Amino acid sequence: MEKYINEYIRPRIQGDGGEIEFVKREGGAVKVIFRGECSKCQILDRCVGWIEQRILEDTGESVKLEYERKKPYFLDK
Amino acid sequence: MGQIKVERRSMRLPEWIDLRLSRLKKHIYSEKYEITSFTVREARQSDEMVFEFYDDEPRPLKMGDIYFTPDGTAFINAEFDVPKSFEGGEYRLLLKTAAEMIIKVNGAYAGGIDPNRETVEISRFVKDGHAKLEIVGYNRSKPDDERNPESLSVRGCRQIFEGGYLVKPNEKVTALIYDIELLTDAASCEIFGEDFSEHVYRELDRALNLIDFDCIDNEDIDRAREYIDEKIYSDKTYKGSGRVALVAHSHLDIAYYWRRIHSVQKNMRTALIQLRLMDKYPDFKYSHTQAYTYETLEKYYPEVFEELRERVLEGRFEPVGGMYVEPDCNVPCAESLIRQLLYGQSFFRSRFGITVDNAWLPDVFGNSWIMPQILKKSGVNYFVSNKMSTWNDTNRFPHNNFIWKGIDGTEIYACVPPTHFISWNMPSQVAGNWEAFQDKGSGTATLQMFGYGDGGSGVTEEMIELMHRFDKLSVMPQTKHVTGGEFLRSEFTEEKELETWDDELYLEMHRGTLTTKAELKDYNRKAEALLREAELVSVLNTDKGVEYPADEIREYAKKLMVNQFHDILPGSHITPVYRDAVKDFKEIISGLENIIGEEGRYFNSLNFERKEITFIPDENGNFTRKGVKGRFVKADFPALSNADLPEGESGEWFKVTRESIETPFYSARLAMDGSILSLYDKELNREWVSGEFNTLKFYADTPGNYDAWDILPGYKECPVPSEVCDPLKLMQADGECAEFCALQKTGESYWCRIIRFFRSSREIEVENIVDWKEKNKLAKVKFTCNVLSRELVCDTSAGFIKRPANANTSWQKAKFEVCCHKWCDFSETDGGVAVINENKYGAGPEPDGFTLSLLRSPVRPDPTSDTGIHDFCYVICPHGGDHVEGEINKKALEYNTPLRKNDFEYVGDTFAPLILQAMKLSEDGSMIVYRLSEQDGRRGRIKLSGKMKTLNMLEDVIGETDEIEYSPFEIITLGAEI
Repeated sequence: MEKYINEYIRPRIQGDGGEIEFVKREGGAVKVIFRGECSKCQILDRCVGWIEQRILEDTGESVKLEYERKKPYFLDK
Repeated sequence: MGQIKVERRSMRLPEWIDLRLSRLKKHIYSEKYEITSFTVREARQSDEMVFEFYDDEPRPLKMGDIYFTPDGTAFINAEFDVPKSFEGGEYRLLLKTAAEMIIKVNGAYAGGIDPNRETVEISRFVKDGHAKLEIVGYNRSKPDDERNPESLSVRGCRQIFEGGYLVKPNEKVTALIYDIELLTDAASCEIFGEDFSEHVYRELDRALNLIDFDCIDNEDIDRAREYIDEKIYSDKTYKGSGRVALVAHSHLDIAYYWRRIHSVQKNMRTALIQLRLMDKYPDFKYSHTQAYTYETLEKYYPEVFEELRERVLEGRFEPVGGMYVEPDCNVPCAESLIRQLLYGQSFFRSRFGITVDNAWLPDVFGNSWIMPQILKKSGVNYFVSNKMSTWNDTNRFPHNNFIWKGIDGTEIYACVPPTHFISWNMPSQVAGNWEAFQDKGSGTATLQMFGYGDGGSGVTEEMIELMHRFDKLSVMPQTKHVTGGEFLRSEFTEEKELETWDDELYLEMHRGTLTTKAELKDYNRKAEALLREAELVSVLNTDKGVEYPADEIREYAKKLMVNQFHDILPGSHITPVYRDAVKDFKEIISGLENIIGEEGRYFNSLNFERKEITFIPDENGNFTRKGVKGRFVKADFPALSNADLPEGESGEWFKVTRESIETPFYSARLAMDGSILSLYDKELNREWVSGEFNTLKFYADTPGNYDAWDILPGYKECPVPSEVCDPLKLMQADGECAEFCALQKTGESYWCRIIRFFRSSREIEVENIVDWKEKNKLAKVKFTCNVLSRELVCDTSAGFIKRPANANTSWQKAKFEVCCHKWCDFSETDGGVAVINENKYGAGPEPDGFTLSLLRSPVRPDPTSDTGIHDFCYVICPHGGDHVEGEINKKALEYNTPLRKNDFEYVGDTFAPLILQAMKLSEDGSMIVYRLSEQDGRRGRIKLSGKMKTLNMLEDVIGETDEIEYSPFEIITLGAEI
């Protein structure tokens, strides 16, 4: 899962100025951190849904993405 | 009795007008038909015009569906019959989107849609009532233009499809809306005054009172417009002043929050939109930069390029900016800037038969002092660049229209427009430009660029419609819509009283871009040096019957030019842009190395004798430098020749005691971290150190939103500690070099320093091997010198510039971080300390010395910026005399030109004491071109061995000579016919 997120999902997220970091997997939950443009995206949920869908289609695993946003210091009020 | 604060609850007049404007906007289309046959295929672009699709087949796309994916491109199609009620008049496709779309109708490019425009006229492309739509949409989480507030709300990788429609525009309602937008903007502009504001709001209210908003009809609209004509436009009571030239332009970053591969479509969409505006508005003209973008249009969209070419010949689509791209104008060396013009102008000449007479660099982060000469000798008479007027953080740049005098004395007409290069042509922006214009006494007009930009997009219909109404508003400055060239050629003439700026155009901001993305700076320096040697070797190899690889070299050179773009090389971009640049640079470097080859004896490509210490790869060597085993030797190579390397020295030559390191040149005391506590010069009998010297300094580096760009003036107030992990110790030595090593830690990062003293050289090399894991930290190395000076002398790559080391004035204070190329030097008359680098560009003048910026680690736009392993060197070089007497420039050229192998024989002039900056085959293959650069600030004559052609930098023959007369910092181009 970590490899899939790093090698498949991450370049796509980075392509929009975002960043995703794999943290850990606990059963059906995959924990990630979003940074960069993702950290302030108002419609990030749609992207999270797309990632879950890609994981299902490409790996056959149904997971729930649990995520945390880490804004850059200048937005972290 | 105290006053009671009254909170007004009733609607103000401007709010009431605005509300009615919103209601009118609901009537801009008289008829609407939903297209229901849309399908979509999602993809991701992997290269220029190459896409990886997620699905084999398209899926239906209905209103409310989610479409687009992260970093995604969507291919959207629809086919339908146009309803009978639409036939006969103009109708449009309406599609509200955050994406950037290129629209094809029945095989023809109809136009573009993006966050700045929601419709495109398609009626002229529909045949027999049937339409086939092919749409390529590219979605960005960061839309084109952050300055359009409406586009901000629709950010995000996954969008909801809001439906696509055929619409019939209601021209009357639309025209009234333009009137209201023009007038409300003018009325809200303080420059025009309260009386005017009150007048406009009052009369506009009365005009709108003529409309029944419960049942809007065109007769009411006509009456309202007639009222506005009579009561506002015809009333000339309120007089404006000033002259403003309006130039349509769209700034296009080749890479930034998007990759270079995406700028192909961004550019296409932008050009297409402007071409369609030209179809609709016969007076509309547009100015577009960067030969590279024209090249991609020609390559991938030839039919649109042909249409564009015709508009160029008409004089309406204007190529501006003679350069290949809009490069960074600090870090690239002189020869790179020349090549930007050579390849840029070559394209414009070949495709349009023109030499562009201006440099158009609105967004670059300051401009090197070497530029005026390079521009003038490349067919450019006018220079345009915006940032100094709008972005300086300390001082207001005092001119907008002026003469810029370069380092060599060359003068060029320069325009630094008073306001931003992205505007949407509102009256308040036009008036604001004139208000801010500082050269009103010169008799020139001021330049206002209009059009959305950064990622292209450009002008909208609204901007042109508003412009057509400017003459009706007497309160506005006099405006004229012109091309960039028309403005420059008509306003900058000998009759105008223009002041002169005799200095670099330093931008008091974005100082961090001299350091951000250290790896790119390293590759760039290497690639520039390799390009020089590949061309030189290729010229000399033609004597051996080897064909000059002109196409191959040009391809690498152009790739280098692209990567010197002002958001690539400076490091202000997202992660994938960095990856692309690294890939490109690796290709450039390996390709050029292949051209040079590695057979034969070592050669000296420099046109002066090499005599400094140098590192030679050798598997049997005692040292590992930058991961390569080898040895240090004192080279002794005549100019432009091969030679054999001397055998290594042997025998004892240095001594380490508890107190000091004794070498033939120095008695040195070093601290545990590798700082030099004392450096006593045995030859010159003086001490060089008076404080922290070769000391690593770490600072919190948190400039804010412009994280990759800026270093704050007060960065020194927030130092970050470091600790010594392994104290300095002698690692190894041979007959030429003694190597000491120390390891430091700051935060999570380890910093190893290898300090090398030499038997045959007074240079001291410091290698830095860094595992850099920091975020928002700045690393510098400090040199506090026992030298009294008020100037830091910095290499520009084509001469030197002196920056203030004192801080008496705000102008001096603002230059706390400046650009240096291969070296900087802090000297008295009789001696000083120079530091020669191989890939660093940011230096900080200090009252008692200077700092060199080594690494940064910003998090925006790239959260991963600069983290990882770094390995770089610099050389400390104390010297007698000033930097010229100390031959610092020659030492720096040697240091940046590692010895390579190739057997060649050069017979001809060495051109000493000028520097041979380039030797290449001319672009037409008829001559060998020699580029010579005076870099010490001297004048003189050189007798040539025979007659040579004198050339400009575009390789046009100007004359013939057998003697060169050169002046300080002059760059001379000669040609020898083959």
